[in-house]
Amino acid sequence: MVLEIEKLEFNYGNQKVLENLCLDIPKETIFGIVGASGSGKTTLIRLIAGIIAPSAGSITLFGETPSSRLWGNIGYMPQLQALYTDLTVQQNVNFFARMFGLSETSHRREVVESIINQVSLWGERNDPVAKLSGGERQRVSLAIALVHNPPLLLLDEPTSGLDPKLRSEIWQYFHNLSANGSTLIISSHVMEDARRCDQVGFLQSGNFIAIGAPDDLTSATGNENANLEDAFLYFMNKDNS
Amino acid sequence: MNLDRTLAIAGKIVLQLLHDRRSIALVIGAPIIVMSLVGFSFSNQPEILNRIAPALIGTFAFFFTFLLTGITFLRERTQGTLERMLVTPVGRIDILIGYLLGFIPFAAAQSAVIVTFTVLALDITHQGSLLNVAILLLALVVAAVNLGIFISIFAKNEFQITQFLPIVLAPQVFLSGIILPIEQMPSYFQLLSRIMPLRYAVDGLQSIMLRGSELSSITGELTILLVFALALLILASFTIRRA
Repeated sequence: MVLEIEKLEFNYGNQKVLENLCLDIPKETIFGIVGASGSGKTTLIRLIAGIIAPSAGSITLFGETPSSRLWGNIGYMPQLQALYTDLTVQQNVNFFARMFGLSETSHRREVVESIINQVSLWGERNDPVAKLSGGERQRVSLAIALVHNPPLLLLDEPTSGLDPKLRSEIWQYFHNLSANGSTLIISSHVMEDARRCDQVGFLQSGNFIAIGAPDDLTSATGNENANLEDAFLYFMNKDNS
Repeated sequence: MNLDRTLAIAGKIVLQLLHDRRSIALVIGAPIIVMSLVGFSFSNQPEILNRIAPALIGTFAFFFTFLLTGITFLRERTQGTLERMLVTPVGRIDILIGYLLGFIPFAAAQSAVIVTFTVLALDITHQGSLLNVAILLLALVVAAVNLGIFISIFAKNEFQITQFLPIVLAPQVFLSGIILPIEQMPSYFQLLSRIMPLRYAVDGLQSIMLRGSELSSITGELTILLVFALALLILASFTIRRA
């Protein structure tokens, strides 16, 4: 298992954000955390990344508690784009490449140019991020998460702001990464994204109300025409009752 | 500490500041305007001018470095880039030293322009070594960078950072012997002035520029400034936290 979570709790003041949450994610899986705004998706991603500490329970990443030793193995894309808007696309990606330890200049240049190409921003590589559209900024943020070829990617709403063509291309890229040994944990509120994951967890009020392959989740509704949205509503109603 | 990461952070600061040419122009231009006004105001009172000019050199270096660092680091926090940086193997000390190295060239350039202008255009008494002036200002700038990083955690936006100026800068200007010599102040203000880093920079600068003192004569001021810089470095490092 790449990730094992046991009885995880996270409180923000008196407010319980995540409660008694358990999750196992095997290697080379694309796992989708799907839920409405405020369901705890971003908090869960930040806990796995080790940015915040759990109030209770445990997280085991690559067989150990998340610590600074693991940061080189994680590609983190926050929901907030977190870019230097006054710097160019290339300067942003290059800066984070150096943070991840790509210190050899010619190798780094090769990697940075390749990743900028892969996110279809070659023509904009010398443009300041401030001049880019929302979708383009999203791809710069993604390029930064990918630049050190990490075995685990934590992507918080990576496809928001992308048009259908780019969304499709990015998903093709995610599947290639997974086929090459990476594990991806992706949060989204879009069922179109959930459909493309290997495993999906429906997050509702700080806990998973269902976890499984998209087809298994839709089958569980008993309706052969059900889609993932129907499945989400089915499990939500079941959880409430 | 990782040298490449530290240099990358310093390089990023330099790039960001170079992109913001208006700020660079203001950082250099504003002190020249103020210095000119001071020079004209006290053109017939060289004693006062000689006392104020070295003090203002230190004040400008401190003020602009604190302000620029505070705003730049606040942006790191609010834009999420600091959080993103912290999910890399970068160390806190890489960030702090990188920031120092990034701001020092600008503080040095600003100080060089102001010192040159003050000495040549205002014709103030200058008997000491410029290298000694630079060393003292460096210690002050290190303190100002760390103070800017530390204060940035208490502000939510750039407007709030500027609201810290009356708290951080005004007491230092009033109590560091810039307006009134310290020995003419009430005893409680003299006591309070001892916790103002700018006081030691002003004392040292006046000593070097007016009396031609060597560093060996101002080791007390320099040591206290370095202690302030180190204490603020430690405080700043506590504000850059991982889980």
